[in-house]
Amino acid sequence: MTDALKLPFAGEDIARRLAQTLEEPNWLLEERLDGLRRYAELPAEMNPLFTTYLDLRSARFAELEPYAETTAAVEVSETVPEGAAALIHVDEDRVVARALSREARDAGVVLDTFDNVLRERPHLLQDAVEGAATLPLDDKFAQFARAHYALGLLVHVPDGAVLERPIVLRWSSGAPGKGLVSRTVVTLGENASASILEEQLASVTKPNGEQSLWWGTTEVMLGDGAQLSFAAQQDFGPDTLMFVNRQATLGRDAQLRWALASVGAQLQKSRIDNRLVGRGSSVRQAEIGFGSGNQLFDLTSYTRHLGEDTTGDLLSKGVFSDRARGYFKGLIEIQRSARGTDSFLGEFAMLLNKKARSVAIPSLEIDQPDVRRASHSSSVGPIDDSQVFYLMSRGLPRDLARKFIVMGFLEPVVARIPLPEAQDRLRELLESKWPAAPEAEAA
Amino acid sequence: MTLNQRQMVDNDRSRFDFKDNIVYLTETKRGLTRQTVEEISALKNEPEWMLKFRLRAYEHFLKRPMPMWTDGLDRIDFERIIYYRKPSEREEKSWDDVPDKIKETFERLGIPEAERMFLAGVGAQYDSEVVYHSVKEELTKLGVVFMGTDQALIEYPEIFKKYFGTVIPPEDNKFAALNSAVWSGGSFVYVPPGVDVPLPLQAYFRINGENTGQFERTLIVVDEGAKVHYIEGCTAPIYATDSLHAAVVEVIALPRSKVRYTTIQNWSNDVYNLVTKRAHAHEDSTVEWIDANTGSRKTVKYPSIYLRGRGATADIISVAVAGAGQHQDTGAKAIHLAPDTKSRIVSKSISKDGGRATYRGHLKVAPGATNVVASVRCDALMLDDISRSDTYPYIDIQEDDTHMSHEATVGKISQDQVFYLMSRGLSENEAQNLIVQGFLEVFTKELPMEYAIEFNRLVKLEMEGALG
Repeated sequence: MTDALKLPFAGEDIARRLAQTLEEPNWLLEERLDGLRRYAELPAEMNPLFTTYLDLRSARFAELEPYAETTAAVEVSETVPEGAAALIHVDEDRVVARALSREARDAGVVLDTFDNVLRERPHLLQDAVEGAATLPLDDKFAQFARAHYALGLLVHVPDGAVLERPIVLRWSSGAPGKGLVSRTVVTLGENASASILEEQLASVTKPNGEQSLWWGTTEVMLGDGAQLSFAAQQDFGPDTLMFVNRQATLGRDAQLRWALASVGAQLQKSRIDNRLVGRGSSVRQAEIGFGSGNQLFDLTSYTRHLGEDTTGDLLSKGVFSDRARGYFKGLIEIQRSARGTDSFLGEFAMLLNKKARSVAIPSLEIDQPDVRRASHSSSVGPIDDSQVFYLMSRGLPRDLARKFIVMGFLEPVVARIPLPEAQDRLRELLESKWPAAPEAEAA
Repeated sequence: MTLNQRQMVDNDRSRFDFKDNIVYLTETKRGLTRQTVEEISALKNEPEWMLKFRLRAYEHFLKRPMPMWTDGLDRIDFERIIYYRKPSEREEKSWDDVPDKIKETFERLGIPEAERMFLAGVGAQYDSEVVYHSVKEELTKLGVVFMGTDQALIEYPEIFKKYFGTVIPPEDNKFAALNSAVWSGGSFVYVPPGVDVPLPLQAYFRINGENTGQFERTLIVVDEGAKVHYIEGCTAPIYATDSLHAAVVEVIALPRSKVRYTTIQNWSNDVYNLVTKRAHAHEDSTVEWIDANTGSRKTVKYPSIYLRGRGATADIISVAVAGAGQHQDTGAKAIHLAPDTKSRIVSKSISKDGGRATYRGHLKVAPGATNVVASVRCDALMLDDISRSDTYPYIDIQEDDTHMSHEATVGKISQDQVFYLMSRGLSENEAQNLIVQGFLEVFTKELPMEYAIEFNRLVKLEMEGALG
């Protein structure tokens, strides 16, 4: 089942046509072709640990046709949403807004499509992505994107630039039978500091059962001493299939924070690769999935400790009602060079209905025992009845008490979203899931 | 560990390292064919259904691919293995009748002493056949059956056929199929309803002879309300070429019964030890696996408990020590299939001198298994930075009222603790040894006294290799 993945919209002719349409230089075409070769050779899941827990049965790839081209970005405007430093908005196959605040512009921030960057500052892109270092080579899904993207975005924050307000990446998607394949590359120079908020929204308000596709990447390179806070809210419509690879490579003393919330989509398959290369670098990752209906959140996370004295703090939380499922597949790898590692992986789930299901595989592979900490923990349980009882004794009706407990369980991730408005929106989003999760027969 | 115990720990590794020159009366040719399987069955005068069972297993073995999720198994050369050996013609009734050569081996293993002290019965497996067997009169009176599996097939055909292969069918995995095709020896235990076996039943297994496959098959049936503790310990001589041990252990715990199965495994470092151990726990029964693995080149073993009846309890303690050239791929599985069931898994592993210790576990709560409480705890200690430790837990929960918790840590020996102990007059090696024994205490304290001493001695020998 797992190896049978053959996408009808993959192939050399498609990759070449995309490169031609985007007028890409030869080196970038070679990148695509290298990605294509790897895509063709790789099984859907390379890691024998996880092969049992890959389920793409809900995806009807044959009915999907990804966009063959995207329209060029509109002129830069200075009208950014309040509280943001910059914004790019991709609606289906077109960039509908791109804005840089004076702050961002002065700091030398680049927020643009690959084709524009290639015209103006090609080395920015080439330095970052040439040589396939920004995506996992053993991942079929990442290599598919590398070969077949129709849109590329680059976010670049130069050495020493410090942005107080977040850069917003907004995606609207959901046109029936259509799909966007994209790459997003984020580079922060030495001692640069920034935050990014990625919003993924439904472009179609009335789903009709026809599937749509969003397939993308986040490829992060952090220079020495750089700091990035990356938050994402996935709220696609119920017919959307979402595939995402996020990989980050951290330089010396670099710091990365992920706060990733997934609420929408029929299927989300995501894989995060944190590569702690630089000495003293650290990653803090918080991820939540709130599923209802038949949703499946397949959330994989690899954290590789390579440099000395690196820190990983990885937390995943899931709440599942109806027939929703969560697969949390995690692996911490402490390589021989990584003395003084501190690493923690936690996977926690709450099941609200009898048919809901949670799978956790929090794995460790350790070649270097000289660690500060290497541990993982995991738990699955229902909503704690004694907590419900306590809240009810304070006058809350039962359903509200249960809702509060679930919100409290997810709040640690919500609190890490950089924009207060975005935090509130996420809270609303999570609460809106609630009526979809009425109490099952008493536990 | 008390000072007294420490004095009892001696240092003589040679007792685990010997080989006798036995004349084998009957053995099959190297390699495995349909004819080998038929020959084994014929030599044993087996009923027709067992031959059919063996052949069905053999066919499956041929078809089944080698498992890919663990590495190194492709080095096993099935063609070089002798699948059946019979060291003496008949089952021995008393210790005096056991051939001197074999007796000598057992004496070096310390069986007679152990028997004097607390043994209820001895079923010692010398290569592929049980050669010595004694069941205390008391047990016979209680109706407890404890004998070689081959003998039980003849003497207790009904109960045998009812349970054999029901917990682990040949199609379960490649090595269960291999065992089912060529099995020989092993222990059979039946405890009648309500009987509380007052002393542990003990069996020693060992491999002798280069390239001897050892395919014992153990079947334990504990009837309603009965209680038993079964212990097996293994040592084997050290050889340069690969040997294979592929055992199958099936335990059936009927309603309200209690079974404890203790293993201390110390195969020599050339042995591939691939064991399928599984228990069915019926209503309100309790099954406990206490499992330690110190030897072998590679061990692949995950004692499993299928909680099939309401209110059943599973308790698994698994310990592994991986030294130079070794990979201990061990762990535990608890599969909850019924409501109100409980499981607890505790795993402790030590890796050193380039050894690799892997914990692989599976905790599953199937739909319908409501009100489950489950916990998993894995701790790993790495003694140097050329060794490796992996943890691969699988937790699959399909009921909303499950309470499950899992925790794992990996680390090295704390230098503070070593320093403290050294300041109290211990050498560095003694201090580390003591810390390791403390780390493993959760296991050791579950063992009968003699076994605890033996186990601590094994660990100490292992440690000296590393730290001396």
